[in-house]
Amino acid sequence: MTPAHVHPAPAAASLGLLESVVVAATLVVAAAYVLCVVRLRRRRDSWPCARLISFTAGLGAVVWAVLGVPLSGPFTAHMAQHLLVGMGAPLLIVLGRPLTLLLRALPPGRVRRGLVRLLHSTPVGWLVVPPVAAVLDVGGLWLLYRTDLFAESQDRPLLHAAVDAHVLFAGLLFTFAVCQLDPVHRRWRYAARGTTLLAAGAAHAVLAKSLYAAAPPGTAFTATDLHAGAQLMYYGGDVVGVALAVTLAARWYITTGRSLTRRAKAAAVLPR
Amino acid sequence: MVGSEDVDPVVAERAQPRRSIVVCAVIGAAVMAAVDEIVFHQLLAWHHFYDRSTGEVGLLSDGLLHTAELLALVAGFVLYADLRRRRALSPAHGRAGFFLGAGGFQLFDGIVDHKLLRLHQIRYGVDVTPYDWAWNLAGLVLVLIGIALAVRARRRSRTGSTG
Repeated sequence: MTPAHVHPAPAAASLGLLESVVVAATLVVAAAYVLCVVRLRRRRDSWPCARLISFTAGLGAVVWAVLGVPLSGPFTAHMAQHLLVGMGAPLLIVLGRPLTLLLRALPPGRVRRGLVRLLHSTPVGWLVVPPVAAVLDVGGLWLLYRTDLFAESQDRPLLHAAVDAHVLFAGLLFTFAVCQLDPVHRRWRYAARGTTLLAAGAAHAVLAKSLYAAAPPGTAFTATDLHAGAQLMYYGGDVVGVALAVTLAARWYITTGRSLTRRAKAAAVLPR
Repeated sequence: MVGSEDVDPVVAERAQPRRSIVVCAVIGAAVMAAVDEIVFHQLLAWHHFYDRSTGEVGLLSDGLLHTAELLALVAGFVLYADLRRRRALSPAHGRAGFFLGAGGFQLFDGIVDHKLLRLHQIRYGVDVTPYDWAWNLAGLVLVLIGIALAVRARRRSRTGSTG
């Protein structure tokens, strides 16, 4: 934490404000999630504890990453933060199925209807098309590391915060669109989502390897730092990519299992 | 999967030899790719994270192949579990598929990647001819084992169904 305090006073002040906004927003979201779970439990609906743990762990990871990493530290630290904010935390949050919970906890009425209308709206429909979400997510990373954006964001707290927010929300969108654990208006086939994951993973790996050879323009990291950061991006991306694939595969296995059981039950009822 | 235990999910499912071959071939290819990566990068260190000779096409194919290998491993195993759950796995065909996949990947890597596209080589700074021969012959042997196993599995399942 201490390196953050080395910054000149104005930067530190605005950084402190941004940090407190993140912490406050996270606390509000966490409280809302817990309230929804309590509401479900009160009417004797079940909600797995694992989802609550996963969701809060995801939020915790975001806070930890935002608070723990100095604005212009080594590349490796920056990369660790990005992996956490853009990939690890989104997966944990999406595994908590916040949308399913919200739709179940909200009483029928204006708010719930509005939410459903929003989810069924055309812009949201486009955003959760898996390839679109992938381009927003990984395309954003290419822009960040292959233009001056990264160097610019190093000493501008607001721009830096905007980049971080994009990384988080694009990561959430991509994970949401690929996993489709929450109800979505239009379901995409497993093959389409798997192919999207493949393309995004490949683009991520290529970017990581290219960073090994050429630093983002306008930056002066040491070669060792750059190499370690690039490898962290490559192998860290692998870990989360496999976790996403396992999520997808497990979901397929469970849903096909359910339809098999249904068919077996139907066959058992019918006389042979 | 507690739900599938009380009701037998098998509804007149028959062994699916073709699907068994394909699923196990996916696993075989992915395992071979993983073994290559572990042996040549980690153990022998003949390859490095970033080779100076790596061009843009090389980077792209490497990223694609590396990601595909990971996803194929996950997909292959869950499809295999599904075959077993439905009792549709034909083990003999599965074994044949594994060898076909492993050898097929080896040959593809050896001929298309190494020789035709010249994306990367097995080893740098030495004459690669003996390495190429060893690589491709090993792949060919694996494919031949796979073909032999497939022929035998097919013959057996035929006599099994008629007899």
